[in-house]
Amino acid sequence: MKDPVKVMENVATHEDWKICFAEAAPGLVLFARQFVRSGADAEDIVQEAFVRFWRQQHSVQNRALLFSAVRSIAFDLLRKDARRARREAVVVADAEHASAPQFDTTTDTQQALARAVDQLPAEQREVLVMKIWNELTFADIGSVLGISQNTAASRYRYALGALKKNLTSHE
Amino acid sequence: MNDFSDLETELKQLRPSRPSDELALWVEQALTASTPSAGILPRRKTSRFNWFSLGLGVATAAAAFLFLARPAVDRPTAPQPTIAQSTATPAMLTPQPPRRTLVPDGVTRVVYGTRDEGLVFPGNREQPMRRLRARSQETLQWRDSSTGASLRVSYPTEEVELIPAVGQ
Repeated sequence: MKDPVKVMENVATHEDWKICFAEAAPGLVLFARQFVRSGADAEDIVQEAFVRFWRQQHSVQNRALLFSAVRSIAFDLLRKDARRARREAVVVADAEHASAPQFDTTTDTQQALARAVDQLPAEQREVLVMKIWNELTFADIGSVLGISQNTAASRYRYALGALKKNLTSHE
Repeated sequence: MNDFSDLETELKQLRPSRPSDELALWVEQALTASTPSAGILPRRKTSRFNWFSLGLGVATAAAAFLFLARPAVDRPTAPQPTIAQSTATPAMLTPQPPRRTLVPDGVTRVVYGTRDEGLVFPGNREQPMRRLRARSQETLQWRDSSTGASLRVSYPTEEVELIPAVGQ
């Protein structure tokens, strides 16, 4: 697998968004799926975020900004949703019940792992998704979520601990 | 090396599902659009199933079936060649099937979701328009007053309304 950061840096030089998008899209859609139930809605969010980002930046030096755009547009979508309007104040908590990340699983172990990721609290899961499948640094993750780098790292460790505990208990 | 290195390796082997092929096409279209939209992007036209067309099709098919089936029910049977003829009493005559008369009985439309999708520039127009999306369930009903039988067709619909955003 290519290093996404290198690909993106190369892309920034050549302004070839297609390579960048092909590499980043699965992870971005996975990130967006945490906030909305439908895969189509997640793709809508990623499309809008990426286009808005690319028009403004013409560079992917600041990947945290791209993930911030996805998160912001996802929350806007949730707020516009009439069914959730009454719960606008707890939009983050509502994300707890959103769809789980979607994976291509081939073995029972992977299915169990995907289910375990699904059961993580939202604040841990989004850190995990950005770190594992999008390879953001803790500094970037902290920037996206508006938390410190140490808090991001702490949530990541909690997520791994919870996953390990979950998997061990089912063995 | 931390305690979770094996778990991290397993997680990295778990691959996110690929997004649809359409996604890249719509991004390309949005990026290559000649008219910049001042930060308001045209939304991806998702190829969601057109339930309204399906519902309309089902309703039309049902109406056509009823229209075509009725003459077959009401049509008198062709006279059979008789070898001998006798005078039949009225009680011995074959009873005629009741005439089926389904008449429209009601239409209901329940809107269960509306969404303001913000400003868009449809068809590269210069004037922005506000897009409102409404999801509803429509039910058409016919009733046969002689038998009390009824036919009901229900289908989901989705309407998109574009309202010119004047003076905003």
